[in-house]
Amino acid sequence: MKLKILPPTLRPNYRYLALDIKSEAILNKDELVSAIWDSCIRFSGELETSNFMLWIMRFYECPNDFDSKPNFYRYKAILKSQRGFEEKVRGSLAAMANYHGKKIAIATIGKSGTIKGAVDKFIY
Amino acid sequence: MDFYDLFYDLNIKGNHFQSDLAIIKEAIRLNWNHLTLRYSPEKFKDLNYKKELIENIENMEEIAIPKDFSIGFGLEINVKKSNDIRNNINKFKKDADLFSVLGGNPKINRMACESLQVDILSRPYFRRYDSGINQVLAKEALKNNVAIELCIKDILTTYLSHRAKVIANFRDIIKLYRKFKFPLIISSGASSIFDIRHPRDIIAIFKEIGLKEEEIQDCFNSYPRNIIDFNKERENIIVVGAKVIKK
Repeated sequence: MKLKILPPTLRPNYRYLALDIKSEAILNKDELVSAIWDSCIRFSGELETSNFMLWIMRFYECPNDFDSKPNFYRYKAILKSQRGFEEKVRGSLAAMANYHGKKIAIATIGKSGTIKGAVDKFIY
Repeated sequence: MDFYDLFYDLNIKGNHFQSDLAIIKEAIRLNWNHLTLRYSPEKFKDLNYKKELIENIENMEEIAIPKDFSIGFGLEINVKKSNDIRNNINKFKKDADLFSVLGGNPKINRMACESLQVDILSRPYFRRYDSGINQVLAKEALKNNVAIELCIKDILTTYLSHRAKVIANFRDIIKLYRKFKFPLIISSGASSIFDIRHPRDIIAIFKEIGLKEEEIQDCFNSYPRNIIDFNKERENIIVVGAKVIKK
């Protein structure tokens, strides 16, 4: 039997982080999810990461802005996290430099209360 | 409440024209307001693209450059003998915007903290099992206005027990900073675009480590600005407390 949905007052509140990702290797959404969890667990630990409630909501491939022949791949993503833990998530993501032996850099370019707000403001 | 207005990064590793330009473009995109490119004495001697770099940035069309954006060119001295610090500084006195000394060796750490000519003691914990700073050096750094630099790249390039050790060293230095109030600066130490982070990401990391918001504001803004302002006036200063005023 399916559980009844929680009333709005009992649901956790979320914030949506807009991420700018630079990677040496081609990334797909699943690899990004794995990289994000890995960095959070490495930097903040299992106990703290259990509060983050991370979920990738959107994933975009972007052209490289500067060079005609890019030496890295650029992506953007919207990451859901629990309200009140955004700064910890941000710090954990920034502390990641490598994933599977390839360089990767994740910068948080903004945060919003809704997915639409994050996409309109920081992605386009 | 928003504490932060301008973000200064005094440690970008300068290499060659193309890589420097790429790093600067990425840093502008990520909202940095001032960058100082640091070169080794050998590279600084052959540095001939300063003007070209500045012109290139000014004429850039793909990104909007902030009004108050500026770049500087500094010298990073990495020597084994403490006497070489003075020789290098005297050699590049007129050309460099700031002088930093790479720490790690206790003698070099001490010499840098005791020197009035040195602006920054960079990474005193470098390749050490302790922070490289004690109460004696902290007092000297305060007296001679030498900033101690914590480099975020040391966190990025290490993992597991080494990273834990680096963070422990950062905490030791922060503890001494709270007591003695010497200038403390935070920098990226970026040598490629993969090392550049958004200033607020770095703030988030240091909040986790234990710095307070006001302290981070000083590390990112007040202390670096003081160093830059002091160096603009440096050639007019004869001795401490006396400077030539041009009418």
